[in-house]
Amino acid sequence: MDRALNRRFYSLLTVLLFLFVFLTGLAYGTPARSESESVSRTDQTEAVPQGVYTSLDQLADKEIGVQTGSSFDLLVTEKLPDAKKLYFNSKSDMVNALLGKKIDAFVTDEPVVREIMRQYAGLTYISEDPLENFECALAFPRNSKGEKLRQEFNAFLARFKADGKLEEMEAKWFGEDESIKDIPVVPEGDKGILRVATEAAFEPFEYVRNGQIVGYDVDLVSRFCIENGYGLEMVDMVFDGVLTSIQTGKCDFAAAGITVTPERKENVLFSEPNFAGRIVAVVRVAKSSKDGNGFQTGILDSFRKTFLREDRWKLFLEGVGNTLIITVLSIVLGTALGFGVFMLCRNGNPLANGMTRFMMWLIQGTPVVVLLMILYYIIFGSVSVTGIFVSVIGFSLTFGSAVFSLLKMGVGAVDPGQYEAAYALGYSNRRTFFRFILPQALPHVISAYQGEIVGLIKATAVVGYIAVQDLTKMGDIVRSRTYEAFFPLIAITLIYFLLEGLFSFLVSRIRIHLDPKRRKKGEVLKGVKIHD
Amino acid sequence: MIKIEHLKKEYPNATPLRDVNVEIRDGDVISVIGPSGTGKSTLLRCINQLEKPTDGKIWVDGVEITDPGCDINKVRRKMGMVFQSFNLFGNMTVIENIMIAPVDLLGKTKQDAYDTGMRLLRTVGLAEKALNYPDELSGGQKQRIAIARTLAMDPDVILLDEPTSALDPTMVGEVQAVIRDLAKTGKTMMIVTHEMAFARAICNRVFYMDEGGIYEDGTPEEIFDHPKRENTRRFVRRLKVLELAVSNSDYDYLGMAGEIRQYCNKNQITPKLENHIQLAFEETVQYLLIPALENPRIRVIIEYSEAEESAIMTFRYNGAPLNVIEQGNGLPLSVVKGIIVETEYGITDDEEYKNQLVLKLRQ
Repeated sequence: MDRALNRRFYSLLTVLLFLFVFLTGLAYGTPARSESESVSRTDQTEAVPQGVYTSLDQLADKEIGVQTGSSFDLLVTEKLPDAKKLYFNSKSDMVNALLGKKIDAFVTDEPVVREIMRQYAGLTYISEDPLENFECALAFPRNSKGEKLRQEFNAFLARFKADGKLEEMEAKWFGEDESIKDIPVVPEGDKGILRVATEAAFEPFEYVRNGQIVGYDVDLVSRFCIENGYGLEMVDMVFDGVLTSIQTGKCDFAAAGITVTPERKENVLFSEPNFAGRIVAVVRVAKSSKDGNGFQTGILDSFRKTFLREDRWKLFLEGVGNTLIITVLSIVLGTALGFGVFMLCRNGNPLANGMTRFMMWLIQGTPVVVLLMILYYIIFGSVSVTGIFVSVIGFSLTFGSAVFSLLKMGVGAVDPGQYEAAYALGYSNRRTFFRFILPQALPHVISAYQGEIVGLIKATAVVGYIAVQDLTKMGDIVRSRTYEAFFPLIAITLIYFLLEGLFSFLVSRIRIHLDPKRRKKGEVLKGVKIHD
Repeated sequence: MIKIEHLKKEYPNATPLRDVNVEIRDGDVISVIGPSGTGKSTLLRCINQLEKPTDGKIWVDGVEITDPGCDINKVRRKMGMVFQSFNLFGNMTVIENIMIAPVDLLGKTKQDAYDTGMRLLRTVGLAEKALNYPDELSGGQKQRIAIARTLAMDPDVILLDEPTSALDPTMVGEVQAVIRDLAKTGKTMMIVTHEMAFARAICNRVFYMDEGGIYEDGTPEEIFDHPKRENTRRFVRRLKVLELAVSNSDYDYLGMAGEIRQYCNKNQITPKLENHIQLAFEETVQYLLIPALENPRIRVIIEYSEAEESAIMTFRYNGAPLNVIEQGNGLPLSVVKGIIVETEYGITDDEEYKNQLVLKLRQ
C-alpha cells in the first residue's frame, strides 16, 4: 500500500512535468514577442515608436484594458464612452493581454509605460494624444491625525521641491540606471513607526527589488520619515485595499501613485501633488519586430528573470512559507474547532446546535475573500494584527465548519446499534463515542477531509487581499517586474501541486493508520500470552 | 430480582405498554411471546433503560433503576443484552469484541479477558474465528459471538431481543442450541421470540403480551396447553379471527360475504374451506336464525387455525334458548349438517347474546 501511494505520487509528478514542458513549448514556440532587454531600449529622450493606433479617436470602439480600482476606469468612460472596458488585476496581466491581442490598448501612467517598453519592444503608446494630465499625491485619513501628518508632509514636500531635490529623484527613478536607484535607510525614529499602505506592483513608483519594496514614492516617504523622526513600515496589498486600509486605520497613510480625483477627495485627504504626469493609451507597435529568441534561450531567460535576478527565488520561498503557515495553522485550529463544536452539539443541546447552525450559515454563506476582508477591516479593524493572523482565523473558521459537517456526516453513518451495544455493556455516553463511534466514523470521512485540505491550500491564494504575501501574491509581485505571465504562473501552479501532493500524502498515511484491518495479529493481541 | 410496577411507555403515535406489573425471580427463564406491536421488545429495553419509561418504577436487586440518580451504567454491567441485529463492534476483531468491556469496565487484565474470551468462543464453537472481523462472519456466527460477548461480563440477567429473527432459517438452529445450553446454567433470562416450540423447550415461565401489558403469565404448560384467556388461546393456536355483527334482518349480506372472502384470501384458506365458511354463514344466519328470531342480533366469530387448516364458527344470538341445529329443519339445515363435523350448543352468561352455537367445519 505504501509503495502504491509512492508510485501514485511520482506518477503525478511526471504528469505535471509533462504538462509543464508542453505548456512551455506552447508559450515559447510562438515568436510573438521579443524579451531581450538589449534589443530595444527606449529612453525618455528617444522618440516613441509608432503604434498600431496613433490617436485616441481610433480607439473609440475598441477593447480597452483597465486596472480594477484604478482612477483610469472613470477616465476611459469619459474619453472613450463607446469603448469596451475589460478589467484586470495587475499591469502585467494587461501587458500580456495586449501582446496576446486580447485587448487593443490599455491605459496607464507614462513613466510606467516607459518601464514596460524597456522590456517589451512590441509595445508603445500614443504619445501625441494623452487621455489626461494627472497629479499623484499621498493620501491621508480624514481625521485629525491624518490632517496633522498631511501638513507635516506638505511642509516637507515644499522644502524638497524648492531645493530641486524632487527633480533629482525623478531623474533617478525614471531613468535606466538601476544601480543608483537606492533607498535611504530609515532609522527606528523617536515618534513611532508609520505604517504606509502601498501596492508594490507599480514600477517605478513602488515595486519589489531584492525582496525589498523600493521606488519613487518609497524614496520620498523614506526621506520624509527620516527628516521628521518617524520609523517606517511599508505594507503591501492589492490596490483595492489601499484606501480602505487608511480609512479603517490599518495604515497611517498611503503612497501608491494615487491619482487625485474629486471622488477620492471625498473620502481621504490628499497631500500636495508630488508628481505630475500624463495618462496614455498603450498599444502594440505598428510593425512588431518578430525576432524570436528561440525556445531554449527564451525559457532560460524567463527562468533567470523569474527566479535568479535580484534573488527572486527568495520571494517564492517566503511566499511558500506564508502559505504553509496559514495552511498548517488553519488545519490544526480548524480541526480542533470543528471537533470541539461537534462535541458540544453531539448530544443535541438546542442552544449549542442553534448557535452552530447560525454560525455555519454565516461562515459558509460568505465568500472566503469577503470573510477575510470583513475580519481584517471591520472586526479586527482597530486592533493591530497581521494579515497572517487574520488569515489563520478566517480559514480556521471555514475549515472548522467543514470539519464539523464531516464529523456530523461520519458519525451519522455509524449504525445506531453500535451505541446500543456499548450502552448495554455499561459504557458511558462519552466513552462509547470515543471507543466505538469515532473510530468507525473517521474512515468514512477521511477522503473528504483530504479534499478539504487541498481546497484549503488553493483557497489561501486570496490572502493577498489583506496584505499577506503568500505564494500567489509573490507570483504577482514577480510578474509586475518581469511583465511576463507564463513562467511565474506555471511556477506557482507547480508549487501548489507539490504542496497539495505533500498534504494528500500525509493524510493518506493517517488513513492507513485508521484502518483497523491493517493491524497485525501481534498488535491486536498486544500484551496477551497465547497458549493453546 | 427484577420488580416492575405500573410501567408505561408512550410514543407520540403509539402506546405499546400501558400498565405492566410483574416480578421476575432469580433463575427464571422467561419467554416473552405475543403478536407484533404489543411491546415485547419495549419491555426488555425498558428493563435495561435503553428506552426511558414514560411512567412507573423498576427495581433490579433492590435498586430502583428508574430513579434519575441511579448509575445505570453500573446496573447494565450486570445485565447482558443480545440484539436482533447482533451489533458487534465493526472496528474490532471477534476476540477484541469480547475482551474490551471486561478490560475497560470490570478492570480485568488483558490476559484474563483473553483467556475467558477464548473459553467462551470455544463454548460457542468459534475459537478459530478469534482474529476475524465481524463482517467476515455469517449471521449465525455473529449472533453466537454476541452471546459470548454478553457472557464475558458474567451478567446476572441476560435479555435476548429476538435473537434469531434476523437469521437465515439455516442458521437459526446453531444459535438456538447455544441459547438452550445457556438456559440450563441457571442464569436469569428473558427472551423475546416468535419460535413457539423453542420458547416452550427452554423456559419455565411465559409472558403472553397483548393489550398494552402482560396479558397472561404462566408456566409453558399453562400458556401453551391450557390458556385461560381468549387472545392467548388464539395466539398459541395461531388462530386467525374474523368477527361479524348482524344487528337487524336487513343487514348488508353482500358486504359481509365480501369481508369473508377477503379474510380467506389473506389467510390463504383453501377454496373448499372458504366455500364451507360462506355456506355456513349464509344458511345459518339467513335461513335458520333470522326467520326464527324476533329482533335478530347475531355475532359471528370465524377462527381459522393455520396449524390444523381447520375453521370453527361461533354464532352468538339473542332471544330465548334455541338450538337451531336440533330444532330447525328443511334444506338449509341439511346443507349445514353436510359441511360440519362437530357442533356444540350452550347458554352463556351474556345477557345480550344468550345463545352460543359452535360449528366445526369440514375441511
